Amino acid sequence: MDLDFTDEQVEFRDKVRTWLAENKPREQRPEDAAGIREYDLGWQRTQWEGGWAGIAWPTEYGGGGLTLTQQLIWYEEYAAQGLPGIDATFVGLNHAGPTLMTRASEEQRSFHLPRILKGEAVWCQGFSEPGAGSDLASLRTRAVIDGDELVVTGQKIWTSFANLADYQELLVRTDGSGSKHEGITWVVCDMHTPGIDVRPITTIEGGAEFCEVFYDDVRIPLSNVVGEIGDGWSVAMSTLSFERGTAFTANQVRLARVVEDLIDFARDHIGPDGRRPAIADDEIARRLAECRANVAALRAMTYVGICDAMRTDTPGPRGSMLKLLYADLCKEIAALGMEIVGADALRRNSRWDANGWVGYYYYSFSQSIGGGTSEIQRNIIGERMLGLPR
Amino acid sequence: MDLLPSQDQLDLIEAASDFIESRLPIEGIRQRVDDPSAVDLAAWREGAELGLLTLGLSEEYGGSGRLLDDEALLFAALAERLAPGPYLASTLGARLAAQAGDIALATAIGEGETLVGLAELRGDGSIGPDTIKGTFDLIDHVGAAYLLVVSRQGAALVEATSFPDIQSLDSADPGARLATATVDAAPVNHWLPASVDPLWLRGIVLAAAGLAGLANAVTEMSTEHAKVRVQFGRPIGVHQAIKHACADMAVHADAARSQTLFAAVCVESGREDAAFQAYAAKSVAAMAAIKNASATIQVHGGMGYTYEHNAHLYLKRAHLLAHLFGEPTQVLADLLDQGAPQ
Repeated sequence: MDLDFTDEQVEFRDKVRTWLAENKPREQRPEDAAGIREYDLGWQRTQWEGGWAGIAWPTEYGGGGLTLTQQLIWYEEYAAQGLPGIDATFVGLNHAGPTLMTRASEEQRSFHLPRILKGEAVWCQGFSEPGAGSDLASLRTRAVIDGDELVVTGQKIWTSFANLADYQELLVRTDGSGSKHEGITWVVCDMHTPGIDVRPITTIEGGAEFCEVFYDDVRIPLSNVVGEIGDGWSVAMSTLSFERGTAFTANQVRLARVVEDLIDFARDHIGPDGRRPAIADDEIARRLAECRANVAALRAMTYVGICDAMRTDTPGPRGSMLKLLYADLCKEIAALGMEIVGADALRRNSRWDANGWVGYYYYSFSQSIGGGTSEIQRNIIGERMLGLPR
Repeated sequence: MDLLPSQDQLDLIEAASDFIESRLPIEGIRQRVDDPSAVDLAAWREGAELGLLTLGLSEEYGGSGRLLDDEALLFAALAERLAPGPYLASTLGARLAAQAGDIALATAIGEGETLVGLAELRGDGSIGPDTIKGTFDLIDHVGAAYLLVVSRQGAALVEATSFPDIQSLDSADPGARLATATVDAAPVNHWLPASVDPLWLRGIVLAAAGLAGLANAVTEMSTEHAKVRVQFGRPIGVHQAIKHACADMAVHADAARSQTLFAAVCVESGREDAAFQAYAAKSVAAMAAIKNASATIQVHGGMGYTYEHNAHLYLKRAHLLAHLFGEPTQVLADLLDQGAPQ
């Protein structure tokens, strides 16, 4: 075993570090929808122009054609410089893009993939419904084939960035006669199509991107279907296996930076006793150290996962362990942050602010719900990894 | 970058595991509980012949010359089967003797002829190049000619006869033997400064490896039970209360193992953040082993509370390893004192 990077990888890291330092966005990220869209797409465009977009995407789709190790190096350097998380561009880069690569037609790929990489399009995910959350396959948004179009009627919910997205990876029911996993279709929905009504949902964090989406006879060309009509469940599962495989690597890597920031903050900030720095409190110090240890282990697991993925090529249920541990730790760190800020917990702030621990705390609750709840991750680990009965 | 075991390493673990299962089975712990020594000496020597004590010892001293990640994998495998005997102290002791130039002693330890027990300073005292002083817990000292004493500054081999008044104690772990002894100025036979070779960190990594092995073994034990134990007409593992407990155990065990192997590579290669990674490994692995073994007792219900069942043996071994090379709270404090990792 070794943790050595090749000369090529070391050189790559140096180049990434230099480029990020010179090109990273310097202005504060806006909080309004239009501002977020402009900011996130602008930053993606800058990365494209610098030749850094889609590092591990195949070159035939405009990516860098590099390995997951280089992708990891990018994320590590990205986090080390305190850069913002990948937010409005997340679904395009980490869900829709990889799914299109494996399941879409040549025409669909050549249209969409460059737009994602160049920062020309924001994607959102239309999976969850009011009656279909963890039980995703029970979704009921209906699509009827009419000529060369699908006519969609129904409702999606928990759709991040629907208010500023250009495209949506949409799951619809095209056939209700079989089992619930049959008759689902995965289709690309242009969010500017008539009949779509997007309504923002205010979150406990106060973010501007959470939405529900209503579809009233929305006409989508059949040529937008990815995979076959009725084969959407298998297409969706390939998306989710990416999500649980390596899509969260950036978040996991960033958590290491978050815990170091919290330790620095606890050294400077007067603690609950009103006299000494928070870190002088034994209980706070012990919990900070535990978080540091656990985040180190999360990083080691991420490395093991990447070694695994490089060997086998398909992300397996192992990603569920990373997602689960990440979510638990994120909430633990955020809750500890709240204790360290003390009575300043009364003051609202944003996780995008420097020392925005109050905002980060309220945000952290989303991490064990979105992308598959922690309960679902535990089911996956129990059933698919440990072989426990259903 | 590679953190997955090679085929070579997997073969090595399998051979060691087969040996422990056939020659030092878990049932032996209960059979020997009234015996002065926790380990059968004939089996100990056979294990030594197999190379269990000399995996990381360089070839010029009769070892296999393997790296710390190999040793970590071995110690995880030994702990998974609750192997009794002073493997940890004897492995480190042979390394110390070799580094100090006492080839005869290194060879005798490696061949299983001379045993090395562990002495852990409890409370005030001193551990230095010439003498040691204080009250020590002696672990698996029975039949040992030497005791290994390790501090952050260095490691010492001290003759057992230098501990004049050894009082046997009842060991909470039936698979180990425990005693206490107080010494004023016991002479050190061999001293290895941490600057030459950090035995403190190697010991921490190997203890973490043992804890990771325990965490993994009880995860398998609980999972197996959850598949076959039927209540209300269904295996208990269908219920999320049990299924999720097993899933959490699997995550803890994987975290412990991954971080331990990461730390092993860092310590072996002398990376700047080696201490950070080793402290993190010990902390994560101790939490994993204790949490998982505790949950295993719960998953097994009344059976898990009995002496006859193995679950408590894992929990007790976990507590033993958690107190070696630094109290858990001290390890956390040391971890927080480190700079950010590399």
